[in-house]
Amino acid sequence: MSKETRFSDEFLNAFVDDQIAAEEKSHAYTEISQDEALNRQVCELRKLRDLVQLAYREPPAPLARTAGQNSHQTRLRFGVAASVLLTLGFVLGNQIRMPATAPSVTAVPAATTQNDEIANRVASPQPVAAVTTPVVARNEILGMTTSKVLIHLARDDADQLSQALDEVESLLKHYRETRQSARVEVVVNGKGLELVRIETSAFAGRIQRLQREYANLTFAACQNTIDRLAREQKIIVRLLPGVITIDSGMAEIMRRHNQGWAYLQV
Amino acid sequence: MRKILALATVALLTLGAGLGAAQAADKEHKAVYHLNSKETDTQKDVLRNSQNHINAVGKDKLDLRIVMHAGGVNLLKTAMTDVEVKSQIDNLKLQGVKFVVCKVTLDRNKIDYKKDLYDVSEKDLVPSGVAEIALLQEKGFSYVKP
Repeated sequence: MSKETRFSDEFLNAFVDDQIAAEEKSHAYTEISQDEALNRQVCELRKLRDLVQLAYREPPAPLARTAGQNSHQTRLRFGVAASVLLTLGFVLGNQIRMPATAPSVTAVPAATTQNDEIANRVASPQPVAAVTTPVVARNEILGMTTSKVLIHLARDDADQLSQALDEVESLLKHYRETRQSARVEVVVNGKGLELVRIETSAFAGRIQRLQREYANLTFAACQNTIDRLAREQKIIVRLLPGVITIDSGMAEIMRRHNQGWAYLQV
Repeated sequence: MRKILALATVALLTLGAGLGAAQAADKEHKAVYHLNSKETDTQKDVLRNSQNHINAVGKDKLDLRIVMHAGGVNLLKTAMTDVEVKSQIDNLKLQGVKFVVCKVTLDRNKIDYKKDLYDVSEKDLVPSGVAEIALLQEKGFSYVKP
């Protein structure tokens, strides 16, 4: 059990003391949360550390000069421990209130299902509305504040597309003005693909300007739609520069949903 | 020492749990309806779907927000003259539904919410309708697009 050698004792101590780089830490978090023995070990270390901290909360006077930083650190560590507990309690409280609402897409937007074979495979039995179950505020729990928004376009009507680009732009502008860190991904499939095709896009210039202006904006085109056009209409699709392709628009929407992204269909 | 530590741990956990429960306790079901269509039929669908949603889960258990932007705002213009739409909106509001209007749309289309829209006040406005929908989803609201 305790033969867990993935992390040295030194590393675990540093981890508990919050003295390792953020990236390493998040990796360690995942590992530790998956391993019960490791988890217990970290728990013990934390307990020990807290006990030590509690015993030495007020450092002896002669050491004041050098201990200044230490006492500061101690308080910091105590604060970290307290917030970990608080968060844990918060999560538990949430769990108690709403048991097991596994986030999943329960139905697929009706409007997008036209002509889209992938969509048809998972088409909703109730074609009135697109309903997705709540993305429980995982971002909040993880302490991340980046807003992540997926905007789904599946129509080719010029009015709609122009309006959609307006929405995207005002959203990005809003986030910039409010200094909210954000990522916006525009997923196009079905007829929406016209928006990002060199031959058909009526908004090539605008899309390029948006991409230049906002580094946090991505346009992603559905490969399934591209393949279908090649197969059925012998069209070789060429995309505007900077537009990426994804295997399937629908799969991307579900992936992003499971990753805690908000979803909007415009 | 151990006792204090244990007490502190329990206190913090309880406080956290309380906060967590309180946060989740606001309403059992939370849904945001997205309305950006200028089509009257779609707008009426939103009103009907909302009422059905309430009927299904009960008004006391549901926090339902209809976020309107772009053409969707027209619903509240229609309500100025269409008595049926107006009474539907009144009814939904009585059952706790919130009608939320996007400021970007008002500015872009020079709409005066006090004069042109039915029963909208300052507190019903949000800086960006799209951002509001994203934010509500982050808070656990289900997204519904009729």
